[in-house]
Amino acid sequence: MFSNSNAIRPNFFDLSTFVPPSVNRTLSESVRSMNWFHPHKVIIQGITDYQAAFCALQMKAYGTEIVAGISPGNGGATVEGVTVFDSIEQAQAEVGEVEISLIFVTPYQVLDAAKEAIAAGIRKIIIFTPRVPPQDTIALIEHARSTNTLILGPGSHGIVVPQKVWLGNLQPEFYQPGTIGMIASSRHLCYEVAAELNNAKLGQSKIISLGNDRIIGSDLSHWLATLNEDSETEAIVTIGQRVNQIESIIAYSKERGYNKPVIAYLAGLKAPQEKIYGDAQTIITNHLSGSIPVVNRDRQTTEELRKIGIKIASKPSEIPKIIEAALSTTNSKQ
Amino acid sequence: MELLEYQAKELFKTVGIPILPSLTIQDPRHIKQLQIPYPVVLKSQVRSGGRGKAGGVRFVANTIDAIAAARSIFNLSILGEYPEVILAEAHYNTERELFLGIVLDYNLQRPVLLGSAWGGMNIDSLLGNLQQVVVDEAFSPFYARRLTTQMGLSGGLICSVSDIIAKMYGLFRDRDLDLIEINPLGINGRGELMALDGRIIMNDSALARQPIMETLNLSAQQRSSTDRSAWKAKRDFARVRWRWLDWSNRAGKVATICSSFDSALLVWDLLEQSQVVTASSALIENSLRSQAENLQLYREQLQDIIEEIAKLPEIEVIMLNIWDSEAISREVCQAIGDYCTETATSIAASEQTLANRAIARDTATPVQSGSVIALESNSKTASPTANSDLDDCRPYFVLRLLHEPSPEELPHSERIYLSSSLEASIDRVVKLVKSS
Repeated sequence: MFSNSNAIRPNFFDLSTFVPPSVNRTLSESVRSMNWFHPHKVIIQGITDYQAAFCALQMKAYGTEIVAGISPGNGGATVEGVTVFDSIEQAQAEVGEVEISLIFVTPYQVLDAAKEAIAAGIRKIIIFTPRVPPQDTIALIEHARSTNTLILGPGSHGIVVPQKVWLGNLQPEFYQPGTIGMIASSRHLCYEVAAELNNAKLGQSKIISLGNDRIIGSDLSHWLATLNEDSETEAIVTIGQRVNQIESIIAYSKERGYNKPVIAYLAGLKAPQEKIYGDAQTIITNHLSGSIPVVNRDRQTTEELRKIGIKIASKPSEIPKIIEAALSTTNSKQ
Repeated sequence: MELLEYQAKELFKTVGIPILPSLTIQDPRHIKQLQIPYPVVLKSQVRSGGRGKAGGVRFVANTIDAIAAARSIFNLSILGEYPEVILAEAHYNTERELFLGIVLDYNLQRPVLLGSAWGGMNIDSLLGNLQQVVVDEAFSPFYARRLTTQMGLSGGLICSVSDIIAKMYGLFRDRDLDLIEINPLGINGRGELMALDGRIIMNDSALARQPIMETLNLSAQQRSSTDRSAWKAKRDFARVRWRWLDWSNRAGKVATICSSFDSALLVWDLLEQSQVVTASSALIENSLRSQAENLQLYREQLQDIIEEIAKLPEIEVIMLNIWDSEAISREVCQAIGDYCTETATSIAASEQTLANRAIARDTATPVQSGSVIALESNSKTASPTANSDLDDCRPYFVLRLLHEPSPEELPHSERIYLSSSLEASIDRVVKLVKSS
């Protein structure tokens, strides 16, 4: 299962012409083919925030090319060895075109910071700030869509390619290189599952943290498609509390098909936490009906996932076994 | 945060949505000041729905009846909440009642307009005729008209109701709302509209930037719900903070302390799969790493949590699942160690005041991660009978930490089990619960 990192680093994913369904605003193919996993020229907006500065230090030590920090009013300063500019415009005048922006500003500044980045030509943004007002996120997603920008987050912990790339504040020492892709909306669950995979000598190819906000810029279905088409990934694990956008996942499965095993671990499905409903009609029905119990959609969701071949693990320690079983069936077919 | 009816109506007024003349009353005697002609409706201002059925809405024809009704409403708790305010409103004759709502649909990631031509108390017919229009671009009044025609309205109502919807949308947008609802929107014999009830939910993430938060009189319930959200603090990420998860389940004997909500869910899952019920959980979230004052703060907060949990008599095992740095792991050990030493001393002291109990206990086991760190011989500890052995040891601590402490950091105690493996820790908790 464990494969060595490739000697040759590819620059792009090879995508064939998949046209995403027009259901629920899936992101376009050109956006998906972007070079997320070999970033050059990264800037940090809100670098004077303690978390941001701390991350900058760690990322640089890992080799991430952080070329500038942005903090209006603090231009000229240096934070952890990174030069700070008042605006992205000024930064690009000095360091050239920037590829990715990591945003750590406060929640009410996020929309504006992201718009500044997009206006400056940046097309990949990771928003680390959690709890951004949802109407701001919606406005941002609209704006991003019309400019072909890909947003990860809000509330994301970034992207890790073990021993190669570190963008964010997931701790890379918990990951080993390998061929299992991970998409998580929770940091600690991601560590727990990675620990189980490492114990079974199944390293990770890429780890993507979607973010825990209720509305996020790019969702599970988008990144499942990305990893499905990634040559360095043999199996995909997704971890979180619930699966949104299930229709997009099902649609992709029908049109293109997941050609590698996909395993989902959903935490706390039966826990007595307050059920959170996403769609307008359910929200209203819930309120008006008062004590009338609403159908538990989670079981439906897991059933629908199973039908398209996604395996559901009941706990992290099951995941390595499921992967090994699935991969050996694939191998024996070849 | 959910607004009470009278607060929602204050917002309606700011955008010109018609509301009835009214008075807010905090004391039954103030009814005498009422300028509104009788008959009048008295409405309990509590958060929950179903007020009418619970007796929280009363029609009164004169001052004496009004005062009596007000007194009984103030003493009526609906779904656990007593009103701090009563709203007295003029009577209104409706010929027809509509339902209007705007909700942020998290799946579609757009606001959605909802309407039903059968508004009011009959929920079945309301829902059976519920219409929906998704606002998929910037809002314009034609979306509202689309909804009214779907609802089956015609004539003058199309424009007048659309106008109300457009105003609701303005509030929805400007005040960062999750939901705004008028049920019922009353239509009288002359076709005039009146918002007879109102409901607004403001998004918690946006409260700190809403100026109205400065001027609203928050009820006790509202204050406690916003304490849990971050609205008060114009601060950067919280350094260390902890909060309860409201799982209070009396049947459970286990309490958990975890580094994040998702960790807590994971632990809940694993325990549930062995039929062990978690009574409650606390989260201690640490967004900074190992700065010195931060460590101190972490330990103090952890001690607070443990003391809170210890007050619950039914808890037999406290499980900690802390995924954090080595420095934090040390703080955890320190906190647990201190707690056990303190409580052991106080138990030992109280037992020595009882007569004839001095059996020294002699055990020794190897110290390694994943095993029980047992008590070494210690003549101070009294352990008279098998039963009160268990009492002395409760609550047990099961620690899941990534780093193994040195013997000085974690004292030896039968009460403490430590492992870096989650599954081993869970097994231990299960065993402890099932053996008691």
